Amino acid sequence: MRVLFSIVIFSLAVIFGFAGYTRFGLPLIIPAPPPQEAKISGEMTMDQFIALGKTVYEGKGTCTLCHNSLGRAPLLEQVAQVAPERLADARYKGEAKSVEEYIHESMVKPSAYVVAGFGKKGTNDTVSPMPDVSGGAINLNAAEMAAVIAFLQDVGGVEVTAQIPTGEAAAPAAEGAAPAPAPAADAKEALVKFGCNTCHMHPLIAEGGDMGPDLAQVAATAGKRKPGMSAEQFIVESIIDPNATLAKGFEPDMMPPDFAQQMTVAEMNMIVAAILNKDAAGGKPQ
Amino acid sequence: MNFLIRFLSEAPRVALAAAVAAIIGLAAAGGGEPLAWLTQEAWADESAAVEEKAPEAGQAVEGATAAAESEKAAADQPAGWAPMAAPKLETKDYPIVSGFNSRLSAWFAAQLHLFFAAFVLGVPIFVWVIELIGLLSKDVRYDHMAHEFMKVSMTGFSLAASFGGLLAFMLIIFYPDFMKYMASVFGDVMILYALLFFAESFFVYTYYYGWDRMDSGGLKWLHLGLGLGLNMAGMALMVLSNSWASFMMAPSGLGPDGAFLGDVWAAIKGPLWNPLNLHRFIANIAYGGSLTAAYAAFKFLTAANDQERAHYDWMGYTSFIIAIAGLLPLPFAGYWLTKEVYDYSQQMGITLMGGVFAWLFILQAVLIGAIFLSANYYLWCSLGRAEASRRLYAMIQPLGIIIVVAFLIWFTPHTLIMSSWELTQVGGAHHPVLGALGVMAAKNTAVNILIIATFLSYQMFRRANIAPAGSGFWATHGTTVQAAVYAAALINIVALGIYSYFIPANVRIGLSVPQVSTTAVTLIVCTIMDNLIYRDQRALGVFRWGHMPVRSQYALFMLAVSFTWLMGLMGYCRSAIRQHWHVYTVFRDNSLDAYTPTLPFAALMVTIIVMIFMALVFFMFWMPILASKKKEGGAH
Amino acid sequence: MKMLKPVLVVLTGYLLLKFGIPFIGSQLHPGTWPVVPTSVMKMYMFFLIVGTLMIYSFSEEGYAAVIQPAVNLYVDPARGTARMAVILAVGALGAYVTYQYVKPTFDAPVELRSIHPAPPSSVKACVKTYQLQGLKNPFREDKASFAKHVEEGGVVYFQNCYFCHGDRMLGKGPYYDGFNPLPANFVDVGTIAQLTESFVFWRIATGGPGLPSEGTPWVSAMPVWHELLTEEQVWKVIMFLYDYTGHSPRVTAPVHH
Repeated sequence: MRVLFSIVIFSLAVIFGFAGYTRFGLPLIIPAPPPQEAKISGEMTMDQFIALGKTVYEGKGTCTLCHNSLGRAPLLEQVAQVAPERLADARYKGEAKSVEEYIHESMVKPSAYVVAGFGKKGTNDTVSPMPDVSGGAINLNAAEMAAVIAFLQDVGGVEVTAQIPTGEAAAPAAEGAAPAPAPAADAKEALVKFGCNTCHMHPLIAEGGDMGPDLAQVAATAGKRKPGMSAEQFIVESIIDPNATLAKGFEPDMMPPDFAQQMTVAEMNMIVAAILNKDAAGGKPQ
Repeated sequence: MNFLIRFLSEAPRVALAAAVAAIIGLAAAGGGEPLAWLTQEAWADESAAVEEKAPEAGQAVEGATAAAESEKAAADQPAGWAPMAAPKLETKDYPIVSGFNSRLSAWFAAQLHLFFAAFVLGVPIFVWVIELIGLLSKDVRYDHMAHEFMKVSMTGFSLAASFGGLLAFMLIIFYPDFMKYMASVFGDVMILYALLFFAESFFVYTYYYGWDRMDSGGLKWLHLGLGLGLNMAGMALMVLSNSWASFMMAPSGLGPDGAFLGDVWAAIKGPLWNPLNLHRFIANIAYGGSLTAAYAAFKFLTAANDQERAHYDWMGYTSFIIAIAGLLPLPFAGYWLTKEVYDYSQQMGITLMGGVFAWLFILQAVLIGAIFLSANYYLWCSLGRAEASRRLYAMIQPLGIIIVVAFLIWFTPHTLIMSSWELTQVGGAHHPVLGALGVMAAKNTAVNILIIATFLSYQMFRRANIAPAGSGFWATHGTTVQAAVYAAALINIVALGIYSYFIPANVRIGLSVPQVSTTAVTLIVCTIMDNLIYRDQRALGVFRWGHMPVRSQYALFMLAVSFTWLMGLMGYCRSAIRQHWHVYTVFRDNSLDAYTPTLPFAALMVTIIVMIFMALVFFMFWMPILASKKKEGGAH
Repeated sequence: MKMLKPVLVVLTGYLLLKFGIPFIGSQLHPGTWPVVPTSVMKMYMFFLIVGTLMIYSFSEEGYAAVIQPAVNLYVDPARGTARMAVILAVGALGAYVTYQYVKPTFDAPVELRSIHPAPPSSVKACVKTYQLQGLKNPFREDKASFAKHVEEGGVVYFQNCYFCHGDRMLGKGPYYDGFNPLPANFVDVGTIAQLTESFVFWRIATGGPGLPSEGTPWVSAMPVWHELLTEEQVWKVIMFLYDYTGHSPRVTAPVHH
């Protein structure tokens, strides 16, 4: 038993020695959190877009892991300047016509032109070791690649031709396919999402318009507007078929008729509940 | 199941696969219709060739064959079926079980499973070799020792399986979508894997319980056959499960969206599979040796009489030699694995060596150094068994100094942590002396010298009690020639090391090859010379097994504990370099725990896991003692 | 007295690490005394002691010689005073180590500082934005007036830079020892000799405050010179730096080789 005890103490001392050395003897490096996808909106200025390109270039794109002064891959600061020479080079195998296209092609088909000395070993500079940045671990979307192109053009001192994707184009670019917009989380969000506040006023929204009836007043009267219809039913009908019952003093065809297609059931319920001042799922009590 | 065929055709190229193929053949003969597969395959290949389908474009595709395979695989499926693309998960897709952290639970189960699995895969390899040695040399002691090794590891089999089951459940509970995806790729491999456990169980029980019955003549050879079967089954289990781990690090056989193309063999044989197989195979042997050495050390310390002490000393020594024999080539298998990681993805390679994990390798260097130091200490203590060894004591001091200096160089970090005062003294972050020691050129040199010096310690023990008796050239001048070989090797390694400072980095990497070759050649040549020198030998004095100090046995514990902890640490490293990916670049981990834990946190986890493991190892080693006690009680 | 041998070995090792390595370093980099950093020294000493104990304790006699004095000290009734002294010394050592560990200090936290951090792509200086990559010294081309430009740079140097960087450019001007990090030594091959002129321009123009986060936590005291000098003056002083030290600026390899 005494032997066993000694062995246990000895072993514990050894492993705690290792753990202690790790904790106190080595510098603590906190790994970076997993990267987020960059958000691109149409309101960006070109400067912001170039800055985004720089962030992607140094961050998510991981370009600087290899394109740095250690000589793993060519430096890219002048790539926009030398692109025309590359395109004229006999070894060029791609289809790009402009600087922008050339840089884009280099990102998705790196082997189209391999800078001498940087090819995969044994391929005589015909195959590039670089991955396709639009897939794999890097997985840049079209907008992010455009930002990187803008950044490289800016750094290279040539005219920036890469376009900022507009809001409509950027959203699909973010996932590579057209995703449904995220459903609203609560009534307030839903009211804003469908633009109710453009025309209506409601206590949940700070500023509302006066082109439609004040929604704060609807709760009191909705149940009595149409015989045989509850307040909920009336509001739902008014949302999906706005012209069915018009409030006094308001014009027909002002409200979009397609909310039935746009809203999820949950969103509709939240809005109805909010108009009725009820605390429905996700709705905030008054 | 078409990968089996590729498996077989690959066999000549992959040394390990030969073993696997045999057992798969066995398993297949028992459970299926191999001929039917063959004919089906032949037909499928033919039809693919005739149709000449254009391959789908995609980087992960290995070429036309793979695409054709995928067409064929799709044709086998019901209409409308398509292989599962890598899912894009959100945090809410990961189940939460209150009180359990998903990653930590899986981590615990996986690491404990791997500890026991490595042990029970490693032990039968050398048990079988020792049994064979016993049979060929007709020395019954080897046979008894092999039997005892088997006895102490029996509980390990069920513990390994239990933790494997726990791991499977943890993965299904916490990562159901991941498991679903993995099953979509490796479904048939997983089924085969599960079935192989029947083979493994069959062989392990017949091998162990049949030991005494099948102890002579043809039956003994049959018994050896069972042992071979056990090793084959174990090896097949290992390489199959390795394929999942290597697939997660470096996926292959997938289309651009991560959907499986239908060729399991392409998915199995990813770029990291064979390096991982080799690394784990060698490490399992070393690990099995170090744990059985710890068992022998415990029995040695609690031995009742000299005879028992002698037996367990001998057993501990044998285990120790096995552990060291596995340990010496391990760094090179590790280099191969790392090189393949770099070749597969430079990004992953830089994350591994230059990024967050850079300090982990300093820690690894310290641990391996600790293992080397305790190994040498045990060998030096071993001199005490021989009365005539005193003449060699004078050699230990210079040898020890070489080992310590090589070790200090080996763990000198490339980036130094300095206080501001030290920075002003040094005149910058680059230290003119230590900076030169922190680079690969110095480390390679140091580790080669460390290995040669350890071998010298071993050689010293080998000749502790003997002297050459003949009068031939080797007997009289052999040692001088050997010394010259060692000196030449040392000069060559150091000169190459110094030379590599003056050449560009890409050439420098290539220089480690001649260094390693020098070491390997030196070890082999000197072993051969030893045999020539001591062809005729005479004993110089009494040699007493069991004449070992208590502290030498603690060196064995040190070895086992360090080895276990190191394994846990490198397990974290191997898994963590995938970063926020389930399957690297294909299937993103979006769970709450997708971040990379810090090194101290990982060290704490490893420490806790190792403590649990140690407790279970005591239990495992206690089982045979418990059993033998009952037997003794019955005899009274 | 056999115990003295291991003590001597450890002591020799310690002295070699403490003075031998800095000595070699000072021969390689004159003017510095590159001590072994404490973090590394601790590990070296730990394994040096462990290794020495191993070398001297593997044999029974060796072990006895190493352990006997300690055993005697703790069991011999005649050595009560020595025993108490050792126990007190061990306690005092623990107290000292603890004190060193917890006492407040003005040292910057130990972090891995990058001496030459990656430069930004562009620099805003002298109300202009410079793209650093490909930025050239405008006076380099003008071979005819080379001497004149260098001389003008020298004037700028001695009116502004000399106080810290010194007359011989060794980083040892009259005020040098008041700074942390130390003023750069331009003669050393590790500074301007391995940098491009555009990098040097960036470092002079934006000074310590312009360093990126890798250059922290010890932000250099270098002033933001573009607020005090003109663009021409900065370029001329760079000419002077290279001419005086005999180094030539690093040239970035063109992107196409």
